[in-house]
Amino acid sequence: MTLRALAGVGIARLYVQRRVLLYACAAAFVVGILQPEGAIGPVVFCSLLGIAMALSQSPGRHPHLDRCEQGAPLFGRELARAKGLVPYLGASLAALCYASAQTVRGSHDAPFDLVIALAAVAASTSTALCASIRRGWPRILYILLAFTAGTMTYALAVTAHALLAGFAFAALASFLALRQYGEALARYDPVEEL
Amino acid sequence: MPLLRMRNASFEGGGASAGPVTLDVYPGERMALAIGSAREASIVALMASGIVKPSHGLVLIDDFDPRIQSINCKRVAALVPHEPCGLSESEFVRYVVYRAALWKIEPRRALAHAQLLRKRLRGMHEAFAFPLIGALVGMPKLVVLDRPAAAYAPQILAVLEGRAVFSTHAGSAEARAFLAPPFAASGHGRTPA
Repeated sequence: MTLRALAGVGIARLYVQRRVLLYACAAAFVVGILQPEGAIGPVVFCSLLGIAMALSQSPGRHPHLDRCEQGAPLFGRELARAKGLVPYLGASLAALCYASAQTVRGSHDAPFDLVIALAAVAASTSTALCASIRRGWPRILYILLAFTAGTMTYALAVTAHALLAGFAFAALASFLALRQYGEALARYDPVEEL
Repeated sequence: MPLLRMRNASFEGGGASAGPVTLDVYPGERMALAIGSAREASIVALMASGIVKPSHGLVLIDDFDPRIQSINCKRVAALVPHEPCGLSESEFVRYVVYRAALWKIEPRRALAHAQLLRKRLRGMHEAFAFPLIGALVGMPKLVVLDRPAAAYAPQILAVLEGRAVFSTHAGSAEARAFLAPPFAASGHGRTPA
């Protein structure tokens, strides 16, 4: 996939969700002011934001963008990467706002918390994307799995003091989830939106 | 060789069904297909543009099978959806650049082409004009129109002159509007068996 196509999808989707993005960043800043200590705050809050933004990529939410992307000569995996970028960037911006609030409150661990939050966000948003094109129980199970992936990253990096293991887990979970999402997109027939 | 070949092509799944449809659309030809239900018309348009794969039968777009060569099909056929897009005239450049990015086309070239098309579609509401312009940015050989607005039929057909056009309609009156002269119609509507 060319960088232009990746950026095109990313910019178009971020543009239509710009208000949601602004509210998410503002909310992250407020929560960061209220809960400045520890990595659990940014991990849980930003993972939940990432999951919500991933679910907002579901078919039918932005029908015009969906139709343009479905009709474009792009492979499922290319579209998966481009669509995956949107919730990840959104949740990462929120994590950055959270870290800024922590810094304002005088927390010295803000950079460390930010790095863990970014890893957890990658794992949870990528997994939640798989829920976005499913209905019923599979959708609920993927959402639970997405939250578990974020929590697992935190558990490995902070509770088990194995930072590298946490990052490795997040990278592996993101890779597998994006592959799965790409394959699902390639097989997807958009008739339920009609 | 037909640009679009459908042989008993039908779709079943997700609580929807359509077809079977059998037809051929040759380069430069125009064909309008009247189908009873709007949903079925949409599914047939999606099948004809390679976005939905047929459950039974065969669809070939420029001899490419959407089930295994979906990307090639989408380079040949472009869909103009029925739903108007909620964009304003001020978002024209952003929209064209986005469509150009999806089709991996140089944005300046796409924009120049799109501005010419917009001039030809002057008077057409942007909600209907933008999707049509966006579909033509990729220079498709075949344009598939999903239940296009009959009120804009002369303008749409004038812009699409020389290209193969396949349109689906919920009623035969709308289908007739897309086969009407003075643009030398060379197709005909069919109802699926």
